[in-house]
Amino acid sequence: MHSTARQGQPEGGTPATPAWACGVCAGLHAGGCREVVYVPDNPLSHILEVFKRDYPDVRATLAMREEEALGIAAGLYLGGARPAVMMQSSGLGNTLNALGSLLLAYRIPALFVISMRGGAGEWNSAQVPMGRAVVPVLDAFGIRHMEIERDRSAEETVRAAAAWAFGSRIPAACLLPRSLTVPGGRQ
Amino acid sequence: MNRFDATICISKTLTDEPVVVSLGHPAYDLFAAGDRPLNFYTWGSMGLTTSIALGLALARPDRRVMALDGDGSLLMNLGSLATIGACAPPNLIVVVMDNGKYGTTGGQDTPTSGAADLEATARAMGIRQTATVRDESALTALLDLSRRTRGPWLVVAKVEESSPTAKPPLDCEFIKQRFMGALGNPEEKEAART
Repeated sequence: MHSTARQGQPEGGTPATPAWACGVCAGLHAGGCREVVYVPDNPLSHILEVFKRDYPDVRATLAMREEEALGIAAGLYLGGARPAVMMQSSGLGNTLNALGSLLLAYRIPALFVISMRGGAGEWNSAQVPMGRAVVPVLDAFGIRHMEIERDRSAEETVRAAAAWAFGSRIPAACLLPRSLTVPGGRQ
Repeated sequence: MNRFDATICISKTLTDEPVVVSLGHPAYDLFAAGDRPLNFYTWGSMGLTTSIALGLALARPDRRVMALDGDGSLLMNLGSLATIGACAPPNLIVVVMDNGKYGTTGGQDTPTSGAADLEATARAMGIRQTATVRDESALTALLDLSRRTRGPWLVVAKVEESSPTAKPPLDCEFIKQRFMGALGNPEEKEAART
């Protein structure tokens, strides 16, 4: 049984798995996702670790670019799977034509998990413009988005986003702000 | 061999395998050579044909999956060859219709009209089963060999441009639903799980 209850136990001196990462994995799993296509990012690596450790039935596939990840996800859906796509906010900018002319045009759903950069406290100015554009861009495409604000709401938020995406056949996005993934830390 | 000759040649060999085909002339030719529910015609997302086929091959290991791509399209997404090399799905075959041109946009040259070599690129990315063919008999022989061996395969078919004679249906949702139904995982069943 997967639950968020197991989180937070340091093992062998390694840092505890963050509770939000356990919640995101539990929510994706409960939402039926067994296929995750991703381009790496630091916070997302926690999610990949939890999948590897606790969910042997989930396959994670590395893509070279976020646009490619959407193509792979579309093929997974055509084959009967419920795909999740994980990327950094900068990567959303790489997906836009695939989002419009493949996922939305064919009404192919996927659940996006987006690790945010460019918000309050961002030290890298190159991350700011795309980070600020994420929500307006998602709105422009009619993609429903939900921010995960707290550890304990992660599972339920992701599960609700999955139900929305795969029920409506329109992608949905869960946003992971740095206030969640790097609390009090350097951005 | 022109692209339509090659497409007819491929079309004759198809049985129950799904085919994901690149937008524009490759899709027009596949439709003209023989429409079937197991053809997934893309109308956009240039560069993603091979990636869509990879996802399908991962989700459906019980089926042989074909990507019918173009040189201009694959050149937009060369990283997909590294992903295929890493995932190594044994049931995937990528056929690249390589005319050295952006055929659908007016026939401008691509780098494969010069030094660029897509078969060598695939090999460098870890795809071991590769070939370049220049006539119908070699193409037919390669397609036959690819059925009897483990993939992933990448076959570059050197072709001349030809004029398409027909266009596939424009309704993207129709294309998808027909395709998923023919694959045995109809979308209505999927949505009912929600």
